[in-house]
Amino acid sequence: MKKTHIVLIIFIAVLIGALLTMFKDAGTYATFSMAEEYAGEPFTVIGFLDKDAEMHFNARKNLFSFTAIDKSGKKTKVYYNQPKPQDFERSEEITMKGFATDTAFIAEEILMKCPSKYNEQNQIAGNENSYTE
Amino acid sequence: MTYIGEHLWAGELGRLSVSIAFASALLAIFAFWRAEKESSWTKIANTAFFIHALSIFSIVGTLFFMMANHYFEYDYVWKHTSLTLPPRYLFSAFWEGQEGSFLLWMFWHAVLGLVILRSKNKWRGPVLGVVALVQAFLVSMIMGIYPFGIKIGQSPFILIREIPENIGAPWTQFSDYLTRFPNFMDGSGLNPLLQNYWMTIHPPTLFLGFASTLIPFAFAIAALLRRDYKGWIKPVLPWAFFSVMILGTGILMGGAWAYEALSFGGFWAWDPVENSSLVPWLTLVAAAHLILIQKNRGGVLPSALFMSIITFLLVLYSTFLTRSGVLGDTSVHAFVDLGLSGQLLLYLLFFVIASFGLLLWRYKQIPKPAQEESMDSREFWVFIASMVFLLSSLQITISTSMEVFNKLFGPEGALFTLYDHNKTIAEPISHYNAFQVPFAIILTGLVAVGQFLTYRKTSLQLFYKKLALSSILALTLTVVIAIYFDMQHPVYLFLLFTSSFAIIANIDYWLRVGRGQAGVAGSSIAHIGFGMVILGALIANANKQIISENNTFIHEEFPSSENLLIEQDDTVKMGDYWVTYTGESVGTGAESHYTYYNLGFYQENEQGKLEPKFSLAPSIQHNERMGNVAEPSTKHYLHKDIYTHVTYADLRTEEEKNSEWKDEYTFSIMPGDSHLVYNAFTVTLDSVVADYIRDADGNEMEYIVVAARLRLSHLADTVIYASPLYIVQNDKAQTMDVVFDEYGTKIQFAGIDFETELPTFKVFRKKPEEKPFIIIQTMIFPLINILWLGCVLMAVGTIIAIWQRIRPAKSPAV
Repeated sequence: MKKTHIVLIIFIAVLIGALLTMFKDAGTYATFSMAEEYAGEPFTVIGFLDKDAEMHFNARKNLFSFTAIDKSGKKTKVYYNQPKPQDFERSEEITMKGFATDTAFIAEEILMKCPSKYNEQNQIAGNENSYTE
Repeated sequence: MTYIGEHLWAGELGRLSVSIAFASALLAIFAFWRAEKESSWTKIANTAFFIHALSIFSIVGTLFFMMANHYFEYDYVWKHTSLTLPPRYLFSAFWEGQEGSFLLWMFWHAVLGLVILRSKNKWRGPVLGVVALVQAFLVSMIMGIYPFGIKIGQSPFILIREIPENIGAPWTQFSDYLTRFPNFMDGSGLNPLLQNYWMTIHPPTLFLGFASTLIPFAFAIAALLRRDYKGWIKPVLPWAFFSVMILGTGILMGGAWAYEALSFGGFWAWDPVENSSLVPWLTLVAAAHLILIQKNRGGVLPSALFMSIITFLLVLYSTFLTRSGVLGDTSVHAFVDLGLSGQLLLYLLFFVIASFGLLLWRYKQIPKPAQEESMDSREFWVFIASMVFLLSSLQITISTSMEVFNKLFGPEGALFTLYDHNKTIAEPISHYNAFQVPFAIILTGLVAVGQFLTYRKTSLQLFYKKLALSSILALTLTVVIAIYFDMQHPVYLFLLFTSSFAIIANIDYWLRVGRGQAGVAGSSIAHIGFGMVILGALIANANKQIISENNTFIHEEFPSSENLLIEQDDTVKMGDYWVTYTGESVGTGAESHYTYYNLGFYQENEQGKLEPKFSLAPSIQHNERMGNVAEPSTKHYLHKDIYTHVTYADLRTEEEKNSEWKDEYTFSIMPGDSHLVYNAFTVTLDSVVADYIRDADGNEMEYIVVAARLRLSHLADTVIYASPLYIVQNDKAQTMDVVFDEYGTKIQFAGIDFETELPTFKVFRKKPEEKPFIIIQTMIFPLINILWLGCVLMAVGTIIAIWQRIRPAKSPAV
């Protein structure tokens, strides 16, 4: 057996290892219902803020709570023990990484998608009022 | 209709330049191809390429002129600049959008092409032919034409009224729309995150890096086309290392930007966009070293060709990832999808199939070494190192491509369902580190011993003897650092040793073996730099200490928060420091949209008194349009950085804070009755009186005023009289409320309840004023300067090495 072949075999083995690890480490984009079914396991839920529900940030305890609606339309209370992200009210979409308990979803990390400026120009075009005198 | 005030000539010039650039690139490809057989075509080919480069400059110049002069009728100008944008950020604005960054990329290709055009190298023709081919594809990305309804490219020269969704919009009926509607008088401006000096130098450096990877690729393709497998090695060598240096610098500048201006608490986060710039660099380093080995010793041609090719393909792939919108959910700084992903994918597939196809087709002809390298030769271990680099880059690529797999397979996938749900890497940092740290151990280890190996066969006895000193020194350093920082993780300790070993062994090699000669200086310094980057990153990240801990217990499943609340004028302890928050201040001049939060850091001296050490002012940049952005503030010491950013601040203005009436409470009472409010006041309604005023004719009632005579008694002591009014004018109701400042209460006559026909009142009160506070996160990065110094050394070392190669090349033999 040539050395190059040994190197090649190791190479492929590590690559397969990388692939397997990737699937092992992959969390899941899920809905709140799925997260609840497997409470305590890490899930990533994409949803948006329920603007009608109460949103509360207790600065002393550093606890932020709000209600999110996932893509299937399910509303769930979310707790986040980090300061309330800037412009949270303006978010269009919230990506919440965390786990579910029997009463709420505990987010460990929150990413927000804010309305980008690319939409803004469309608003000029679409909104009648913006260009009447 | 003729529109007033538009600068149509600029768009025409721009589009004309795009057309010429595209046509001349096509002509150049054809001419360079013919010139391989008939040298009479060379002149045409060179001229075509020259014209191509000039038209690229013309596109860039035109767009830049339009942006500098605020031609807001153009979509790109409107989207990326504004009247208030400081001129120094005009460059950042230029490459903020996809179109501009494609242009920046093409600009560097054109510049590098011109350098090669001047070189009179015998590889000039085919290399420029490949460059022209890539350029033709890239130019089509900014063409913005719609043949047969298929969108090809996005033009930066499109007018706002020409955008498909705006065609037929009511405002296009006005010939003077530019001056009629305020929306067109000012652009929407540059993303505040990019208004940073790093953003002026990071993208052009990074794109020069990306562009420079085309040169080794073009040489490799040219070599395969010409079946001249060895001739390309010598001229490509300086290019390969130039590319390593520039791309590496560009990536690290991105890290520096993230560290200085973004609040994600570090310089590297394995973000998909960061990854996609790192990945080609890894294979590029492998390519450059293989080319070097091939030149000095030979025997690694297939892998040198492969690495040169895959580097460029990975650049294309990362372009695809960052620009197709695929990463939209996982990365904050991916570009917005312009509907060009199909086109990008097509180009990517073309280059992958064409270049790998060519490599496979020619593979049998490529000269291979007659015998295998021995295990103790330098070339064998460089080959191993390059395989590790390739693995490292493939591992990152595969994991970064998760989003692509999601698009291909799965519930919403293009092909078929394999899994029942979309997936994402849950913990990117530990996921990547699990692979990349071992890779780094192998690579730093090889960097340490590599220089001491000789070509062909090394005398092992001598080899061990030479390395003995540096390995002992490195071990000592490792023990010292490990004890000082109390590092126990075995993998990190291993990396600590190998990276220290890499640094010390290369210093040793340079001074002792190389006797400080210029010839070995470049590579030694660059390798020392590499070791320091790894060592610095390891120490700073593994010992990163978050000192802003909040120990409030919420629930055992909640990790204790790494954020700390400080009230104004309060002093809290953070690590070894006492920190006071002295209040906020607003930036001056061009920085008036910044609020700074002034923090004083104190330390106890021997007498137990607090001594001021330094002050930091992390800030929040207010931006109506993009949202507010927190920027960190960092105290740099030689041996550590103290990094602080605001994670929460009340951004309401003083007025908004005070005007807030809370605890609305409604009640209805009959005249003569009393009602207890907030368990603190008794409100008694004495009487209700109404008055009305008729209009001039004395017929219609112009308005009616209803007044409630109220008596407010505060427990036993005082009695206050108040008359809130309820006014009806032209069928609209208004109220005139009475505010009791001393009690922080307001009372409103809200009208008559329809059902009970009773007068209804609302009371509000203010919460007792809270002391202003902010929440901050502070962390210490120890010895992070090793990382930055390492970056500088890597760049400087590579420049010295390139210079050493080019200098003798000034003589005729190129």
